[in-house]
Amino acid sequence: MNPVGEPSRFRGAAKYILDDELAKIVNVSIALEMPLLLKGEPGTGKTMLAHAIAESLAMPLIALNVKSSMKLLDALYQYDTLTRLNDSRFGDSKRDVSNIGEYIRMGKIGQAFVSDCRTVLLIDEIDKADTDFQDDMLDVLDQMQFDIMEIDKTVTAKNRPVIIITSNAKKDLSDPFLGRCNFHHIAFPDPEMMRMILNVHFPNLSEGLAKACLFTFYRLREFRGIEKKPATRELINWVRALQADPDFDLKTVENGEIPYLGVLFKKSVDLSLAIQQAGRARR
Amino acid sequence: MFVQFFYRLRERGVPVTPTSFLRLQKALALGLIGSVDDFYTAARAILVKSERYFDTYDQVFAHHFKGATLEEITDVDLTDIAKALLEEWLKRPKEMAEALGLDEKQLAQYTPEELIRYFLDRLKEQKEAHHGGDRWIGTGGTSPVGHSGSHPGGMRVGGASRNKSAVKVAMERRYRDYSQEGPLTELQMGEALKRLRRMIPYGPRDVVNVDKTIRETMRNGGEISIVFDRRLTDRLKVILMIDNGGWSMDPYIEIVQTLFNYARSQFKDLKIYYFHNTLYGRVWLDPQRHLRPEAVEEFTRRDPDTRLIMVGDAAMAPYELMGANGSLYVGQKESRSSEERLKFLARIFRHAVWLNPQAEAGWGYTWTIEAIGKIFPMFELTLDGLEKAVQHLMKRH
Repeated sequence: MNPVGEPSRFRGAAKYILDDELAKIVNVSIALEMPLLLKGEPGTGKTMLAHAIAESLAMPLIALNVKSSMKLLDALYQYDTLTRLNDSRFGDSKRDVSNIGEYIRMGKIGQAFVSDCRTVLLIDEIDKADTDFQDDMLDVLDQMQFDIMEIDKTVTAKNRPVIIITSNAKKDLSDPFLGRCNFHHIAFPDPEMMRMILNVHFPNLSEGLAKACLFTFYRLREFRGIEKKPATRELINWVRALQADPDFDLKTVENGEIPYLGVLFKKSVDLSLAIQQAGRARR
Repeated sequence: MFVQFFYRLRERGVPVTPTSFLRLQKALALGLIGSVDDFYTAARAILVKSERYFDTYDQVFAHHFKGATLEEITDVDLTDIAKALLEEWLKRPKEMAEALGLDEKQLAQYTPEELIRYFLDRLKEQKEAHHGGDRWIGTGGTSPVGHSGSHPGGMRVGGASRNKSAVKVAMERRYRDYSQEGPLTELQMGEALKRLRRMIPYGPRDVVNVDKTIRETMRNGGEISIVFDRRLTDRLKVILMIDNGGWSMDPYIEIVQTLFNYARSQFKDLKIYYFHNTLYGRVWLDPQRHLRPEAVEEFTRRDPDTRLIMVGDAAMAPYELMGANGSLYVGQKESRSSEERLKFLARIFRHAVWLNPQAEAGWGYTWTIEAIGKIFPMFELTLDGLEKAVQHLMKRH
């Protein structure tokens, strides 16, 4: 355990390229014991950051993937009534049916609270849930405790987890929610940064190929009318595809040809638009 | 100094709360912030809660900690610069040549297009902002190239932001693309319209209803009887009516197209109709407004819970709206005025809004906008306007 006076510092992990600015923000948030809200385009590494923090601070990561139908209770704990009903009917399990506590399962937030060591709690894509969920969840995270109604017990966090919240939304979250978080917006990596990211994933990537790929990639992102622009993940998959192709020749990319467009554009409308514009650019 | 900074942010419209300001003080007290650079990032993370305000934050920061002037919010367009450049070139070829690092003879060989190309290339090479010098493109200097009094950071050249002081980073205004004035994209529209849905049970019964199961099991004398329910699915009906005629809607085609695309991909039960300027006896299912008309009276047969969204600039001559025979088209005989038709629709559909792509500030100048605004609640076709419109559409009444 780290007392507040000597906080564990975050410096980035093996597979994650961290920019200085973000590292500072993460450290400030850990020290202030505030959740950190991350926004940014898909593919800017919001989710990866939580993994990287967990790795570098050597804490277990607990990820809560928010779904639109999710209720706060699901994230805290679940009372498994059906199993209990079944046990009471057939009575062939080792559980004590009269003890409700045996049928309480911890949700992700609950797990982070009862864990014996400090954890990194990732709440992914908070924008999918409705506003009530968001506000109520922040209450729980503020007080670091919640009640289990069925057995009248209060669960208090043994260790305050490092909380990372991500949101894809362009729209702002509610004011009370924002008031309780630190905020950072991750911009899309510039070519220089992207080069470093590629290096991490492909240590043996040749300079020429990297350059050509990046050039093409950023050109593709500027195509008009594209609904889902290719992001980091697509770029990495694309480079992987190029490397896997035995017939692939660097010259083709340098000449403006783009093989495996389908790896970069996932929507059929986008793909046909891209093919059109790529063709025009070559001529 | 920090208190002033805080108030300055508030003055410029960044919603900074006192709580977050105290939190920043705490961060300072904890010794987490050792330099202006640290302060820049930490203060932004703690105080500013949306990337829409990052740009304003950058400006205030640069102003406060460097004394760089706060610029009026005017945009410097590259074409403007190019224009100014050409004028300058024609007037003083010699100085121009010097500024661009060419000699006069070389310069004379360039066509205007080539010159601009060259200029832009140079702009990209320029890694750091430059102020008050006598060369390169910058502000307030004696350089003949560039726009007098304009802010170079506004053009988003350079891009590399590492290894620079916070003030310089702030002056680059990297986040101006995220500030509120930007155009509405499909993604943003999606966010605003996401709320527009109504969940009702639909599909196979495959979700266990625990409460009912327990009750049924008790009724059954302890013999387990599991009760299944249908899942909740979005079944909202939406009618979108788009004004696609006339030159007055031309400037808004792109934004309406975006709305249209989003609506088509997102709403399961969507009907799109077209009209020109305003409604008369019928609307059309085809954009050419020719082949597939549908009489407005027919809409009485629709589910009154359907959400009706009208899109148009609502600008026309008053007689088109009020006259019983106001239609622009010869041969289209009308018995009722368009105003009556609109009122008729508003009566059928309780949940209806009118989205106007024209900025709200200009509405007062057009009489018909006001008149239609009395029939349908009218909202601007912007992020904020859409959100308000959705709130209105989902209100129970």
